[in-house]
Amino acid sequence: MSQWVKVGSAGEVGEGEILSFGAGERQVAIANVEGDLHGFDDWCSHQQCSLAEGDLDGTIVECPCHGSQFDVTSGEAVQGPATDPVDVFEVREQDGELQVLLTQE
Amino acid sequence: MSRVVIIGAGMAAATTAVSLRDGGFDGQVTLIGAEPVLPYERPPLSKEFLRGEEAEPRWVRPPDWYRDNAVEVRLGTRAERLMAAERVVELEGGERVPFDQAVVATGVRNRRLPIPGVDLPGVLDLRAVPDAEAIRAAVVGASKAVIVGMGFIGAEVAASLRQRGLDVTVVEFFATPLERVLGPELGRAIEALHRDHGVEMIFRDAAERFEGDGRFEALLTKEGRRIEGDVAVVGVGVEPMVEAAGQDVPIDNGILVDATLRTGVEGVWAIGDVARHDHPVFGSVRVEHFDNAMRMGETVARNLLGADEIHDDPHWFWSDQYDEQVQMSGFATAWDQTVIRGSVEDRSFAAFLLQEGRLLSTFGMNWRYDVRRSMPLISAAAHPDPALLADPDVDLRDLQPSGEART
Repeated sequence: MSQWVKVGSAGEVGEGEILSFGAGERQVAIANVEGDLHGFDDWCSHQQCSLAEGDLDGTIVECPCHGSQFDVTSGEAVQGPATDPVDVFEVREQDGELQVLLTQE
Repeated sequence: MSRVVIIGAGMAAATTAVSLRDGGFDGQVTLIGAEPVLPYERPPLSKEFLRGEEAEPRWVRPPDWYRDNAVEVRLGTRAERLMAAERVVELEGGERVPFDQAVVATGVRNRRLPIPGVDLPGVLDLRAVPDAEAIRAAVVGASKAVIVGMGFIGAEVAASLRQRGLDVTVVEFFATPLERVLGPELGRAIEALHRDHGVEMIFRDAAERFEGDGRFEALLTKEGRRIEGDVAVVGVGVEPMVEAAGQDVPIDNGILVDATLRTGVEGVWAIGDVARHDHPVFGSVRVEHFDNAMRMGETVARNLLGADEIHDDPHWFWSDQYDEQVQMSGFATAWDQTVIRGSVEDRSFAAFLLQEGRLLSTFGMNWRYDVRRSMPLISAAAHPDPALLADPDVDLRDLQPSGEART
């Protein structure tokens, strides 16, 4: 079952920016790439580091700890040391809210 | 500078080679590693690899990388000594490898307990892949493990072996786990975690003798306890492997290097666990962290290429025990104030360690952001307001290096 959950306000994540939001049990990073919003797990799959505090270059986020890179559109690890992907989430802005689609298992 | 020889093939050594090539260095690069395998990440050896969740070591770079980047790797080869005047590294067997610049990244070895029975089969320790494989093999069919020492390695091994279903008893010299690193208050939080997972812990006692008929059967302690088990794992600290640095390089609990990672000998550098470096905030320190090893490799490569950069990283490391995530930044051997943000009882908190108001180190358990966010404050030797540190609604990134809230 999936459900849209409000995490913030529409327009909160500026272009080229990544912010981190609590969403249910998850902490979701939301990146704004040229106006498109992409949600992904705000925890590197390599070690204990926030991807939202890394650098965004196009659709690639680089972990501030060990330099792992992920494509924010797919969650795929494109450069190590991380090899596992990170979870990605659908994000939308609706009724003035910033919302993340969470799936309950 | 046409030939860089790196003695060692761990995280620091491999990162140096990678960073030299990334930085455009087109001279010769040689790695000399005593272990017979390519550079790998050690942290999983006490965790995923030990639990059998990962069959292969995590390689720092895939095997092809070394060939594709013309990095010569000599594995299973021990460097006997660096001869500074002759500009050569002598290998065991006598071969001499010439260098223009040498980087010593030999790491540490486990301290061995000088007690009877330590050589019995079934008395193991953990540093390299074969050690982790030996523990993995020894716990198959075993029901009880005895662990000596409860620093990070002892605590992580205890957690991993509990997760594999063994009964675990730990004997620790201090009054709590990790007492020297965390102090007794935070050490008790680690103790409670392990107690909840069924680890039996005996404090203020020490190993006196391992017993067994051809194989480990029991540990006898100084306080007269007899603890039976199928396997014993010893984690009682390490000592730096300084021997290969030769006679000319100053040594005192590690190879002494200045803030740019140079030894006193021209063209000889030292990095990683073996290096005791002159840190601009912490003074002379030697640490054994994955992250620092990697960052020292990056710094030394830039300096080999002429940067003359100070290694001022504020240090950061992590530990995983059961499902709990632990992190720590900075460096502290003594502190007079501990400020908690969050809840120790709920195992979700950051603890800020201060000495005379100055933030030295931050420890976090299941508290994602603040350990790293405090690092600029640690680097600035800031004196943050304890009330702001304790308030979870205060974003540490908004604190000025002076510790005041930004207006």
